[in-house]
Amino acid sequence: MAQIVLFHYFPRNSILHKMDGRVKLICMILFSVAISLVQSIPSFIILTASLILITLLAARLPLITLLKDMKYFSFLILIILLVNSFVIPGRPIPGFPLPGVTVEGVMTGLIASWRLVLIIMVCAVMTGTTSLITLKNVVEWYLRPIPLVPETRIATMINLTFVFIPVIFDTVSEMLSAQKARCVEGRRNPLKRIMFIAFPLLVQTFRRTEELILAMEARCYSDDRTRAVFATTAKDWLILAFTVLFLAFILFYSF
Amino acid sequence: MSKPNMPIILETQNLTHVFPDGTVAIKDINLQIHAGEFVIVAGANGSGKTVLLRHLNGLIRPTKGKVLLEGEPISKNIIAARKQIGLIFQDSDSQIVGQTVAEDVAFGPENLRLPPEEVNRRVKTYLEVVGLSKLAQQSPHVLSGGEKRKLAVAGVLAMQPKIIMFDEPFTGLDYPGVVQVLRQLVSLHQSGHTIILVTHELEKVLAHADRLIIIYRGKIVEDGTPEEIIGRSEQYGVRMPLGENERVDAMTWLK
Amino acid sequence: MGESTALNLRLTVFAALFTALIIIGGYLSIPLGAVPIALADFFVMLAGLFLGKKWGLASAALYVFLGALGLPVYAGGKAGLAVLFGPTGGFLFGYMALAFVVGLIASQKKPSVLRNLTALIAGNILLYAFGIPWLKTVLNLSWEAALTAGLTPFIPGAFIKIIVAAAIAQALLPRFNKSIADNAEQPEDEEQ
Repeated sequence: MAQIVLFHYFPRNSILHKMDGRVKLICMILFSVAISLVQSIPSFIILTASLILITLLAARLPLITLLKDMKYFSFLILIILLVNSFVIPGRPIPGFPLPGVTVEGVMTGLIASWRLVLIIMVCAVMTGTTSLITLKNVVEWYLRPIPLVPETRIATMINLTFVFIPVIFDTVSEMLSAQKARCVEGRRNPLKRIMFIAFPLLVQTFRRTEELILAMEARCYSDDRTRAVFATTAKDWLILAFTVLFLAFILFYSF
Repeated sequence: MSKPNMPIILETQNLTHVFPDGTVAIKDINLQIHAGEFVIVAGANGSGKTVLLRHLNGLIRPTKGKVLLEGEPISKNIIAARKQIGLIFQDSDSQIVGQTVAEDVAFGPENLRLPPEEVNRRVKTYLEVVGLSKLAQQSPHVLSGGEKRKLAVAGVLAMQPKIIMFDEPFTGLDYPGVVQVLRQLVSLHQSGHTIILVTHELEKVLAHADRLIIIYRGKIVEDGTPEEIIGRSEQYGVRMPLGENERVDAMTWLK
Repeated sequence: MGESTALNLRLTVFAALFTALIIIGGYLSIPLGAVPIALADFFVMLAGLFLGKKWGLASAALYVFLGALGLPVYAGGKAGLAVLFGPTGGFLFGYMALAFVVGLIASQKKPSVLRNLTALIAGNILLYAFGIPWLKTVLNLSWEAALTAGLTPFIPGAFIKIIVAAAIAQALLPRFNKSIADNAEQPEDEEQ
């Protein structure tokens, strides 16, 4: 499961990698908003083309790999397409063998799934160019002005969650292979199967967590910590300004 | 070879710990450790040596008695005490708090709220000291056993403690790993740190120590130079290394 | 470090552990007939039982939040607002309700099987009360279709998970509470 952690971040030396994470997050949110607002097919094509260019040139991410990762969403996309095709009332498609499928339905379904794909792409660009540490720091920075939100605690929790994931994964795979050696596979009773995974997993991870807590105390854990430094350059502001203008232009011509 | 001419840096007075179930873990420990000393605490499993160690930086609170750091009770300012007394745990896996090697080393200094430039400087310096600079951006999860132990050392050094305590530092290490850790220990001692090391593997390290303390059933039963004590170690369940006639200065894996 | 800070730190770290367990649970499944049993909601139930209402909720909320940020933490490596507001999004919000309600009803101090079972059943009812109407609305389904898609196939799995969660809480909670409550008083020592 080390790959879940690395799965989305690709260490590169691109414009987007070097960007201030806070500004990058705003740009990505603006893109998502624009994607959910556009209506016309030409605007969709322009947005798609620009996102592909951003992925390849500004972020230097492997587009093919990202598209392959999208297979996890294919089921969701299919459902959206199918449900829309049948549910939206309209003209039946001439010569189409299945009754109930409408032209309007297929069109709405296509647009909705296209939107979904674009939003997933925006997410992939954000997480592909931002390390978990930076993402954690950005989250902490945006939460700071909100009252009653313990932003340092949340950042610590995010960090620890991603420290735990490879640990748990290793524990699970060790346990599963040890159990395979003792032919647990042959057991059909799902109650016992879950028990055999969950019980030792919890016992082991609890023990480790207790040790980790002691280690954090020994190293003086405190909520009042050194804060992450961000540096916003003129380039960041330029990218933000360009994003705003570009998206405003598309939205203006979309209606 | 003890250093009575140096000031006492760490002292315990009648330190006693009784677990809630009534088990006496340590009883009436009176110990004086001089600045710059290299002390080995040996004892069989369950003798109370880990419990003693965890009292010295206040991770466990005593049932009776106290710990003094440079004459002041550590309970007065436990954070300040932990900053001075670093502890490297036996299980180096469960003391990793960072998603990258560099971030893990930064954890301590960030808790002390040092300015960001100082944090970075320390991370760089101490990764250099332990020889992990090249792995700074790696996930700690992929390091070898010896490298993980070094990372733990760097994380503690980054807080610039005066005293460094090691709990069973050789457990689970292969021969090169043990040699790496030994080199680190010797050079830390030479650079003026006080070293307290808990182990039952005397043959790997005893030659470098100034003083050997043996704990048996929660009490200090022997305390003196390694030469004086080594002959009597076996009655307390600590294996006497390399046979009767071997000299203490041969008890190291460092050639 | 004062006592309450120490206790808070312990719960924070354990909450992060449960978030990680929920994430891994989304990748693990046990075969049971045609519909495999996914373990994400199982660990949400355990988060409620072990951490109580406040920290159980924190643990589930962090899970939902990380996925919303675009990290591939939802079941099967999915992520993002598209999933959160998609057909199954109700179940993700339901996780928070599940952890909270289980923590609210379950007994923290003295483990009681009956009380924990009640808590788990109530929590699961709430989980599906979030999930199914959401599924129905987003996909424009009839009630009948929504129940067939979102509830019926999962009932056997849910019962198995509830029973195992209660059994595990019974076995591990006393030790867990002890380790949370008294600051590092565990009679640990050394390796094997």
